[in-house]
Amino acid sequence: MDTHAAYKSRWLPWVLLAPTFVILLAFLYYPTFETFKLSLYRVAFLGLSKKFVGLANYKELFTNPDYLHIFWNTAVFAFFVVLFSMAAGLALSVLANQKVSGWRVYRLLLIWPYALSPAVAGVIFLFLFNEQSGIVNYLLSITLGITPGWLTNPKLAMALIIFAAVWKNVGYNVVFYIAGLQNLPGEVLEAALIDGASSWQRFWKITFPLLSPMTFFLLIINTIYAFFEAFPFVDLLTKGGPSDATNILIFNIYRDGFEYYKTGMAAAQSVILFVAVVFLTIMQFRLGESRVHYGS
Amino acid sequence: MKRLAAILGLSVLMSFSFAAEKIQITFWHAFGGGRTAFIERAVQDFNYTHPGIEVKAEYKGSYRDTLNAAILAAKQGNAPHIVQIFEVGSQMAIDSGIFVPIEDYVPAELKFQLDDYIKPVANYYRIGGKFNSIPWNSSNPILYYNKDIFKKAGLDPNNPPKTFNEVVEACKKIEATKAAPKCITWPLHSWFVEQWVAEQGALLANNENGRAARATDVYVDSEAMKRIMKWWKGLYDKGYYAYTGKPEDWDGANQLFVSKQAAMEITSTSDVTFMQNASYENGFELGTGFLPVPDGIERNGTVVGGASLWLTKGHPQKEQEAALTFLLWFTNTENMVRWHKGTGYFPVLNTSVKVLDWQHWFTRNPAYKAAFDQLLQSKANRATQGALIGPFPEVRTIIENMVQEIFQGKDIAKALAEADAKADKALKDYNAAVAK
Repeated sequence: MDTHAAYKSRWLPWVLLAPTFVILLAFLYYPTFETFKLSLYRVAFLGLSKKFVGLANYKELFTNPDYLHIFWNTAVFAFFVVLFSMAAGLALSVLANQKVSGWRVYRLLLIWPYALSPAVAGVIFLFLFNEQSGIVNYLLSITLGITPGWLTNPKLAMALIIFAAVWKNVGYNVVFYIAGLQNLPGEVLEAALIDGASSWQRFWKITFPLLSPMTFFLLIINTIYAFFEAFPFVDLLTKGGPSDATNILIFNIYRDGFEYYKTGMAAAQSVILFVAVVFLTIMQFRLGESRVHYGS
Repeated sequence: MKRLAAILGLSVLMSFSFAAEKIQITFWHAFGGGRTAFIERAVQDFNYTHPGIEVKAEYKGSYRDTLNAAILAAKQGNAPHIVQIFEVGSQMAIDSGIFVPIEDYVPAELKFQLDDYIKPVANYYRIGGKFNSIPWNSSNPILYYNKDIFKKAGLDPNNPPKTFNEVVEACKKIEATKAAPKCITWPLHSWFVEQWVAEQGALLANNENGRAARATDVYVDSEAMKRIMKWWKGLYDKGYYAYTGKPEDWDGANQLFVSKQAAMEITSTSDVTFMQNASYENGFELGTGFLPVPDGIERNGTVVGGASLWLTKGHPQKEQEAALTFLLWFTNTENMVRWHKGTGYFPVLNTSVKVLDWQHWFTRNPAYKAAFDQLLQSKANRATQGALIGPFPEVRTIIENMVQEIFQGKDIAKALAEADAKADKALKDYNAAVAK
């Protein structure tokens, strides 16, 4: 008899797990399966008629320049959001981790944006960066005499939604990095200090490598954030404009699916997004394994 | 004691059975805010005067959300009885097959109400010769302008620009005198483009705007369209035209106008009441005028925008009759008068116009008058009847993207040709998908 067995009956664990499985099946696996299936159909609006078209939806996605443009936008957006929100998160947490007076307040303020709902954050940015009556352009016009068209210039519009998404997520990274910094083994840093390492050296040679598990975790979380959770910023700030310059995959899925009633196309894009994120995560794990040091 | 219990029990039972006899009707609409309250009050009035029927009105979000929710509910077998659907969703609503053609069910003694609709409205909503739905909220774009800024710029405050060139001339003066930071604004929305196409007597789709038969070709690449884009681009390049950068930003455009950043705004007549209040609050005198049109063309008129009320299929006859009773009551002469005064949406029945005339409403409220005259002066032809295009929402985005590309410097002819191809493809896909 297995002495490790906590349960006497073979069935009991399954019974206890059953609710979880049922929920996963009903709300995760089944919809995923349906999405895959739908992506092979051409669906009249809201499923009134359905016709099997094989991979035609995918062919359309990879040949239509409009969709290729959206893929490109998504890649640019995700890259910069992940890069900036992690870099800013790390830099700010190192600063906030210092024992200076008022550190509690700084930390609180840094985490604040994360507590805001993305919808509220989006509306705030809309007010701030309104070309004609926003406060940012008001200040710029009295100081520098310029009034950039934040939402009418394609490059600035992209920069703005990246900035909004970064601003919103930095707090999350700060929370984790501060936790990571607090748990660093003090003796190593102290030894380095005694050996005369500069603060720059201490950071890059000791702190940063020791934080690598945290960085790795945040990399994955931030990637998922950039791909899946930027919808409110695009929807509220630009609606994908000007002329699709800020149209990213997650917004276009919504638009194709719920505004244009092209369910099949939306499903195919979801599948692509899904595959892209899974691929990136696997890559990160592969590359990460050799570089990430977990303390023993 | 026993007897008391029996009586109590019986009366409870009876009250239940009375309650059950009330016919429950659900009505889904897309109006939030003050308009929700307005609808609620009307529904309460109806329930009070029709003890056998209990109508419940529910706000379902945007026009698109409402249509989505209704079709989904119908598929699951519990459709609401009445649904408000925006005008460009008409073709989609017919294709969905979940609604009844309402005119076939209107009782003979109430048919007069359908004949009472003012011509432009009847024109839009009579599809294939009959009403598929009951027209309700109808509007047009008009020009709103700030009379104080006009005076400051040396312009005649009682003579707003009527043509594209006159707008440009007015803008020159406004810029030269620095009377306002920007000259004119309107939401970057395809609706205005559609209106200007109709004003020129041009069509937006083949098969007589999709009215004679299902449309198979969208006309984005037309002379009419070129005129609009040239003018619009000119205004944009000179800095006369302002918009927030976000497409379909109605509130943003209103904000620019009421905060005196722009001297003029083109937007829906359904905002007349809002504009009057806002101009009062912000301390300027409001003027209204007709939608400016291209020079040298005959003014054909505007297309009716807004929404209508549709009756869904598959309810017991009693419920269907009750729903129809409500619909015809809700859009009758008195209620149309109230609706117009409360919002600025048109009083779409001839008799309600007569009531308003009798009350000297339009002379006492000139802002409402321009809006209404423009509608009444519209010629009845295929252009002003408005296009029926299945994937209209998508075509609208294509047009809006095109406008922004033109702003960024894309050649107008090229942008129009590309957008035309995209719109045709969207239509082809839609038609293929709904073909049985």
